[in-house]
Order: sequence, then structure tokens, then C-alpha cells
Amino acid sequence: MSGGAGTPVSEQAGLPRVGEHGALSAGKAVAFSPKALARFEKLLTRYPTKQAALLPTLWIAQGEFGWISREAVDYVAGLLGLSPAFVWGVTTFYTMYNRAPVGKHLIQFCTSISCHLAGAEEVFAECRKILGDLKPGETSADGRFTVIEVECLAQCDKAPAVMVNDDDFAIITKDNLQKFLGGLR
Amino acid sequence: MSEMWPAGYVPVLLARISRPDSPAIDGYLADGGYASWKKVLAGIATGEWTPSKVTDLVKASGLRGRGGAGFPCGLKWTFVPPKEKRGNKPVYLLCNADESEPGTFKDRVLIEKDPHQILEGMMLASFALGVRHAYLYIRGEMVHGAEVLNAAVDEAYAKGLLGKNVQGSGLDLDLTIHRGGGAYICGEETALIESLEGKRGHPRIKPPFPAVSGVWASPTVVNNVETLCCVKHILDRGPDWFRTYGRNEKNTGPKLFCISGHVERPGVYEAPMGIPFLELLALAGGVKGGRKLKAVIPGGSSAPMLTAEEVQSMPLDFDGVAAAKSMLGSAAIIVMDETTDIPKAVANISKFYAHESCGQCTPCREGTPWLNKMLKRVVNGQGKRQDLDLLVQVASQMGNGMTICVFSDAAIAPVLSGIAKFRPEFEACLAKAASPDFALTAPSDVTEKVAGRMAEGIHS
Amino acid sequence: MAKVTVDGNVVEVPNDANALEACRAAGVDVPHFCYHPRFTIVGQCRMCMVEIDGMPKVQASCTVPIRDGMVIRATSEKALAARNATMEFLLINHPLDCPICDQAGECQLQDNAVAGGLPVSRTSEPRRLTPGYDRTEIGPHVIADMTRCIHCTRCIRFCSEIAGTGELSLIERGGHAIVWTHEGRILDNEWSACTADVCPVGALTTKEFRFRKRVWWLDKTSSICPGCEIGCNVSLEHRDQVVHRFLPRVNPEVNDFWLCDHGRFLAESLNGRDFLKPLVPNGTLPSAPGGAGRRETNWGEALGLVHEKLKAAQAGSIVALGSANLSTEENWLLAELFGKTVGSPNVEFEADQGPLRRIPNRKAVGADGGFVKGTVAAPNAKGAEAAGVRKADGASALGKILAGSLVPDVLYVSDAAFSARTADPAFAAKLRKAKFLVVHARVENPLTDVADVVLPVSGMTGKDGSFVNVQGRVQRFDAAFVPPPIVRTDLEVLLHLGRLFGSFETRWTAAHVFGKLAAAVPAYQGLTWEEPAVTGLPPSSSPAAAYDVLRPPRTSVDDTDKLPALAGKA
Repeated sequence: MSGGAGTPVSEQAGLPRVGEHGALSAGKAVAFSPKALARFEKLLTRYPTKQAALLPTLWIAQGEFGWISREAVDYVAGLLGLSPAFVWGVTTFYTMYNRAPVGKHLIQFCTSISCHLAGAEEVFAECRKILGDLKPGETSADGRFTVIEVECLAQCDKAPAVMVNDDDFAIITKDNLQKFLGGLR
Repeated sequence: MSEMWPAGYVPVLLARISRPDSPAIDGYLADGGYASWKKVLAGIATGEWTPSKVTDLVKASGLRGRGGAGFPCGLKWTFVPPKEKRGNKPVYLLCNADESEPGTFKDRVLIEKDPHQILEGMMLASFALGVRHAYLYIRGEMVHGAEVLNAAVDEAYAKGLLGKNVQGSGLDLDLTIHRGGGAYICGEETALIESLEGKRGHPRIKPPFPAVSGVWASPTVVNNVETLCCVKHILDRGPDWFRTYGRNEKNTGPKLFCISGHVERPGVYEAPMGIPFLELLALAGGVKGGRKLKAVIPGGSSAPMLTAEEVQSMPLDFDGVAAAKSMLGSAAIIVMDETTDIPKAVANISKFYAHESCGQCTPCREGTPWLNKMLKRVVNGQGKRQDLDLLVQVASQMGNGMTICVFSDAAIAPVLSGIAKFRPEFEACLAKAASPDFALTAPSDVTEKVAGRMAEGIHS
Repeated sequence: MAKVTVDGNVVEVPNDANALEACRAAGVDVPHFCYHPRFTIVGQCRMCMVEIDGMPKVQASCTVPIRDGMVIRATSEKALAARNATMEFLLINHPLDCPICDQAGECQLQDNAVAGGLPVSRTSEPRRLTPGYDRTEIGPHVIADMTRCIHCTRCIRFCSEIAGTGELSLIERGGHAIVWTHEGRILDNEWSACTADVCPVGALTTKEFRFRKRVWWLDKTSSICPGCEIGCNVSLEHRDQVVHRFLPRVNPEVNDFWLCDHGRFLAESLNGRDFLKPLVPNGTLPSAPGGAGRRETNWGEALGLVHEKLKAAQAGSIVALGSANLSTEENWLLAELFGKTVGSPNVEFEADQGPLRRIPNRKAVGADGGFVKGTVAAPNAKGAEAAGVRKADGASALGKILAGSLVPDVLYVSDAAFSARTADPAFAAKLRKAKFLVVHARVENPLTDVADVVLPVSGMTGKDGSFVNVQGRVQRFDAAFVPPPIVRTDLEVLLHLGRLFGSFETRWTAAHVFGKLAAAVPAYQGLTWEEPAVTGLPPSSSPAAAYDVLRPPRTSVDDTDKLPALAGKA
């Protein structure tokens, strides 16, 4: 990822550094499929302003492209008549829009208080270890798993709670972790 | 599945959740669902049913908001300016299903298991408020819940319970499910409004209150999922029935409680408002493994922590928990047994708030990560003598009007209550630290002097 | 109007004021960062905390609309403690490197820290770093350094609410939030450097001024942007006879708080001086080009020669060119001298049509679509016309000279750079056809290359005068510094020349001339030198007619008091 809009002022900044807040490029222009466009058009009928459709439109984009790239932001901004900076600002405010491609299984461990009391942090660490010493947010070498930590999933009675992509999983402990991961293959 | 209510109690909100195919409209209709909605629609023409009549029933029921603040629901509705004052502006109803408070999962059960109950509540509230388009904002993580709700809405349209000229009543009502993108703060009603408008979820300055100028600058009422379900039941059975639940006139109705943490059977329980804490704990099978109770967070992670002694005789309703100097909040009861490392739990909660701060107000944006960094150091054995006092001092200057919304007040509650009530545990962390007396910051006497000067407001 | 009590003093403020404005009206300087009179109130910096009677919690004063009878305690213990708390939070992650920050000296965070901060820092946590987002050219004129950002979002609101371009946004949330563009896009709009003006700290600075001069060394002179006919009020900031920058000077009737990038970075162009002494022909006329045919002399000889040539010439064969870059006073003297005294019918000026310049100001007289617009690329076309200098066209003397149908005995050019065309040697060659060519000049150009007499003048920095902007508004500018000894102002040159004809007195100043002009030109009736900048005139196709209309009242709230960094008396 580059450090942003321009290049650092050479005589003052030294070497350019890598930024972490910019939208990654997909390397190509993107556009919705006809089906997604139809969904988008229907969305617009549900709100008095175009802007209100931004979050749902980003969901459609994520469904279409898998993640929100620089080009996806430009595309969505164009669809809704918003500035790309605004769209990226909104995208990054919310945690569920992927800012990079993720593995086939996006494993989301809740570590908030109830899951913490059930030892979620240890399970999270164990899971990353099993999948090849992954850092949080890292995707396994085979591209199948991305493991991240998330805040409360509102499944505190099923602690430690885990979400994989859009599906909820209950009581994932160190004991059943292997079986759980096996089920994802 | 064991019963999720006290023996002999007839569940109201959870009555249908164990029916097979409980989310489907056919079963809901067969169980007498939408009777109130149809009754009201049919009564419009005859003048039997008017919006103010619905509002009066809700007011008479004593229903208080189930989202956290416990504000009287009917009263909130009356804050919407009358037609002659609001002009051509539409009124909007937003159902707050952004259930994100750690420890809370009651709305999820209602959404996934009995969505039509919520929709009917929204329809009735929409009628009372003159709403033509209601929105339900569901948190992004509840993908399945959103699917269930969308299917339910489609069913309701198909059955002619929503749409143009509903049931020939002349009334138009649309309902849209709106899924968020993952941000705790959007549970705050003005942040929810901003988010629905397609913006970052930054809470707004109040006044104006949403009832006067909310979403799209129009009068807006934001109600929690469970609150709206209660509205349906009040219309079904009347306010007098509703008031038979509860300890007193100010705390009425059936209530959902979420119990999690160290209990045998965590889950959502339905009980009359005001059930004693110990009874509910027993219902959930008691403390896990028969261990001793150490602490309880009675209303989601934003509520001040209580000790085992403080909860012994505490009734679980708005005023009962308030009397114990905490709050019922979302009725998310997090139980911690004797094995719990309180400093670690507090550090965990503070991490949540540092992560979820929207970042607009300085004290919260800068304060929540600061508290978290300090607490992390303390539990990791890198604490310093003055850290505990500094934690309290820093937390004390984040709340009470220092920020636009009460997120910051919520963020400091577990820190302040945790240190106040379990200080020896924090001190034990410091004792284990490599060099607690080695001060990287100013020596504590200087810190104290500074704090003193701050309190006095003296400029240097 | 409503009566509000601030710290015991009763003050009257407009009904739509907020508590912060009331405090400032009462002379209590409540510090603030996110508040700006032209932006939406966001109340998020939490710096302007005060106590208000009847409200149990401290309040961000900018978010509280005043009520009649409101009692504000701006310096109570609770209020000061709250403000100290906010300062502490702002400072725990702000770099402690004021000495190497270019904002130092005009940094609101620094000022507040000095005025009321804590004596020590209580944090020992590592400070927030923003790798990749520090010291970066975020646009052609602005350098962003997010380590210094205090998240007041003024720049974001400038771009979205004033410029309407929306290049900036908060990215991420909470303590990770930064202000940036969308990846791959830049902060580039007509007024992009205004984001640096509104930035209270050193997070956004302008590339052109950054590290040029410590701001406390700068002298500030009230001036007018020479970039176009809008006539934005600027503060001309200079040191040791070098102009370092323009900042917008608040004028709600004209440029409000803003200045376009084009005008702002013209400041640089006021520097440089190629002529220190008058030049006269060395030998035969016309002088050899490139300066070889000329020699330096004194004013007496130079003006004597011009006087002699003018006397010897046919009045009808004398052409004097005024300029839309010169003050109205200078143009008026030119018209008086050449038109009345010498009797030439050919006193005219030419001003360039330039690219459209715009300043966002919805409320200004003549605003069109929310903008004050200027299409003439010089500041005083209307003033020149009002002074009696006529606009050149194909049929006028200048047109004829360019067409080759007129070869004047004397061509007197009061501004060697009166048009962008003077940079074209072919254009200069056409004017050179005149038998005797005199120019006023500060810097060399093709026209000075071929002139017979070059009269060294100070340029805008050395003189005072007034312009008439596109709205028909008379606006004064002041001299920034005294030019080198022999160099004169255009006004002085004309006065000395006029004295040789017995028409003018050399002791006259611009103020004198303004008085004479005001007496002589009906449109100027009632205008005084002391306050021309506030005596605006409504727009009109004919400035002469416009001047008859009454002066519009000043806006009710004195905006110049609201943003000290930009303020400067008009």
C-alpha cells in the first residue's frame, strides 16, 4: 500500500513509508453484475436519499467482489454521487467491510467479556497456531483461512462464539477446535 | 432445552420460540399473530382506533424502553411534534436492532425465532406515530437474523399486512430492513440515525432530539426490538395485564434477561420485571461448577460492576439495579466467579471501548486507548505505583458531559467500579510487576499536585 | 438580540448566537478548535467547555444556542478543569516538537497549552505514530502530517461544505482515525490551501510557505490580492523587504475567510526588482533593444526628458496607457495629467480576460451560484474606468498602434506589465513603433527591453492606494515596506511629472489624491480614504452609476473577531 495521495516531500520526509489506511487496488476497474445492479436499483427505492443506500451498496459490493478495493470505492461513489473519500471514510468506520481479499473461511473470534471469561483469547491464539502461526488478520498460505478477532457477536450464551463468513458457531473451545476446523474444509 | 423462565411463569416474549418453524408467518397467524394489527386497521374507518389511543395504551402500561436507558416508551412517542408543527415532514420509526453491548443477546433470539412479533410491534407503533416508512437497523454481524427478517417482511407484504392501503384501511406503510456494517456505537440512537443516512456512525449533538429532528431531519422515534415486541403484547392484552408484571408501577412488564459468563446454563431468560438476581441465577443453574460468586455486571459491559454482596438482595429492574449504583441497561447479566481475574476482565472491557470509540470527541478518542494501554501494562506486570490513581483520574475526566454521547461514560464505568471494588487485585498485579516503583512518568507526588491543580482549575 | 451573562458581565448577542460566540462577545476568550463560524457545528473537540446555569453537566459552548437570560460561567473551576482535561487528552498523542513544527507561533494548540496547560505530562505510553501519513504532499499546495492532527475536522468541512469538493474524510475510527483523501486522489481544488488556514495545528501546511519563515518574524500589511477583479482582502506578510505569503483577511462582503490558490501564491511574484535607477536613451532614438542603448541616470534628467518630449509632441499623437494593476488614484492622476493638462484624447487601459476565478460566499453582493466570480485577471479594471481612463478597443489608440495605423510621438505606459501580452516580444515590438516609449517598471520584460525610458517603480508592496473590485467596492491597500531609495511609487512618478507641468504637487499622498478624486468623480461622493474597505458599493455594469447607491450595512456579527489567525483589520 502506498502512503497516500502524493509522495512524501523528499528533502523532509526521507524514504516514503508504507501506509496502512489507504484502499488497496484491485488492479482493474470493477462493476456490478446485472443482478447486483438490479438489487442496487431496488435498494434506491427504499430510501428518500441516495446516500442512505451506501451501507447496503457496500454490502452488495462486498458480495460481488469479495472485498472493498480502491476501484470498488470509486465505483460505489459514482453510483451514489458521493465523493470517494467520503465512501472510504464510511467503509473504514465499519469493521465488516473487508479491505483486502480474505481466505475462503473468514474465521471471526469474539474476545469480548463473556467470551473472554470462557477463555476465547487462548482459543484464538491456538487456532492461529494450528493454521500456521497466522497473525491476526493474516490469510493462511493455502488461501483458505483468515483469522481475525472481533468484538461481541451477541452470542454470549454460546461463548466462546465464532463466526465463519456469515455463519454462527457456538462454544468453540480448545478441545473441539480441531474438529471445528475440520468441519470447515 | 430447559425452560427459559421461572416455574409456573407463562412466557410472553419467548412464548413461540420453541415452536417448529417459529419465524414463518403462517404459524404466527395461527397463534393469533397480527390480530392487534388487523384490529387496529379495521377500526380506523369507524374511528374506534386512533393513533392517540394506541399511544395512551402504551403510556398506561408503564412500558419503559428495553434498550438500556429505560425511558418511558409512550412518553417518548409524545415528543414527536404534532402535524401542525412539523409541517410536511414525515415521521420515521427506527427499530434499533443493533444489539452490540457485550453480554447482550436477547434481541437476537427475538429476531431469529419470532420476527413477526417485532414487525407487528413496529406496525402498531408506526400507526401510533403516523409513520409511513419504518426501518429496522440490524447489526451487520447478524447476517442470519437479517435474512430471517427480510423473509418475514416479504411475507408480511405478501399477506397484505404492509404496503399501500393495508387491509383496505387507507393506510400506507412500508418497512425496510437495513443492515449495519459493524460498529458498536451505532446502537446509540443518533449514531444509528447517521449510519442509516449512509454516514459514519458519529453520535449527534442533542438537542435537537430525534423526536424533533432525526433521520433525514424529520421527527424520528428510535425503539429497541424488545420494546416494540412489548407494544404488540400491550395491544393484545391491554395495559392492565402488562402492569401485573413487576415490583411496582415504575417497572412493569415481562422482561428478557441475558445471562452469560460463569453460570451453568447461560441464555436468554424471560421473567417478570423485578425478579431477584439470586432467583435468576438459580434459574440459570447457579454459578458454574458450584463455585463462589465474585462479581456481576448487571446491564451489559457499560454498567458498573457489582460485588457478590451487592447483588444478594437486588431485584432486577431499572430502579432496583439503580439503587445498587449500577444500571439494568440491556439486562445483560455477566456473572464472574471466584476464579475471575478482575483486572484482566476490566482490561478486556476497556479494549472493547478503545476499539469501538467513534473518535469524534477528544476525551473519548484519546482517553479510551489511554485507559486500555495502562490497564494492559498493569495486567502484564509492567504497572507502576501511580497507575491506579492515574487510571481513576483519567477516567474521571472523561465522563459527565465531556463528550457528545454517553459512550465515554460507559467506557469508564467498568474501570472506575473495578478499581474501586477490587483494588487489592489490581495492587497485586503491581506487586508482581518487575519494578513498580520505577516511575517513567512524573513521581506520584507531582502527579497528585497536578491533579490537585486540575481540580482547582488553576492555570500554570 | 438576547441578553446573556458571561462571568458576571451582561452582553447582548444576536438570537442565533451560541454560547461560545456570547463568551467571545463578552471578551472571554474560550479556546476552541473545531468551531468555525462558516462550518457546521460539530462540537467534537470538547475544548470550549463552560458551565451554564441550569445545566448540571459541563457543556461544549459552541453547541449550546443562547437563550435570553442565560448565565454562562466560562472560567469557573469546573469549566477550567474540563478544558484542562481536554488539553491533556489532546497532548498525550501530539508530538512535543514545536521547535521543528512550522505551525509554531500561530498554532492554537500551542497557544492554549501555553495559556492554560498542565506543567507536566502524565502519560508514559508511546505516542501515536502515523507511518505513511506524515509529511506527505496531499495535493499540489498542501502538506499533511497526521501525527500532528487533532481531529477537529475543519479541513474536511471546508472541502465538503465550502468548496463542495469533498476530497477529505476521516478514515478509520477512534484513536486510529486520520484525515486523508481516498487512495490515489489528491486534495486539489481552487482553494485547497484554505485547509491549511483553518487547520489549528501543523497537520496541514502549505508547501510554498512551509519552513520559509518563522511566523513571529513576519510583518503583516493589509492588502488586496492582485490576482483578479474579485479583490480578495489579504494580509501581505513580509520580512526584510521580502514578501513571504498572502493569508486571507476576513471580509464577509467579499472573500469572507477564503482565498483562492491562484491568488494566494501570487505573493511570491511581488518579490524581485530589476530596476533601481531611471534609464534614459544613450544616443539616438529609438534606443537599441536589450538595454544596450540606455544608461542609468537620476529622476531629474529622466522626467525632464519625458516632459520635454511630451511638450514637443502633438497632443493628439500622445498615447498614455493606464493599468488595471495600478491604483485608482494613479489612474486618476494619469487621466488628469495626460487628458486634461497635456490634452491627449488617448488615455486608455487594457485588462486581460483571465480564467474564471471564484470565491465561495453565498451572502456577498453579486454572488452567483454561491460564488463571487472574477473574469478580469487584474484587480482594478473598474477603478481605472472610474478614474476616467477608457477601456482600449480596436478603434482606440492602442488598437490602432497594434494594427499599425497609428505611430504615436510618445507612448507612455504606466505599467510595463499591464497585460500578459507584454511578455510577448512581438507585442512589445508593436508598441516600440512609437517614436518615444516610456514605461514604469519593477521587473524586466520584453517591453522594458525596448523602451526608451524606464522609470523604476516600487510595485504594490511599496505603495498604498485603492482598487475597485468586481462588485464595485472600493478597497484600500497599504504599503508594506519602503522601497529602495531611488525607486518611486507610480503615484510619485506621476506627481513629479505633473509638477513639471505645474499641475500637481509632489507632497501629495495617495490619501490626498483620493480626496481630490472623491471630490471630482461624482460616483465617489461621500467616500473617505480612512474607510473605503467597509464602504462597499453594489455591483453595476457601470461603476459610475454604482457609486450612487447607498453603502450596504456590515454584517451583524463581526466575523473578523472570530478567527484570530486570519483576522486583520480591513
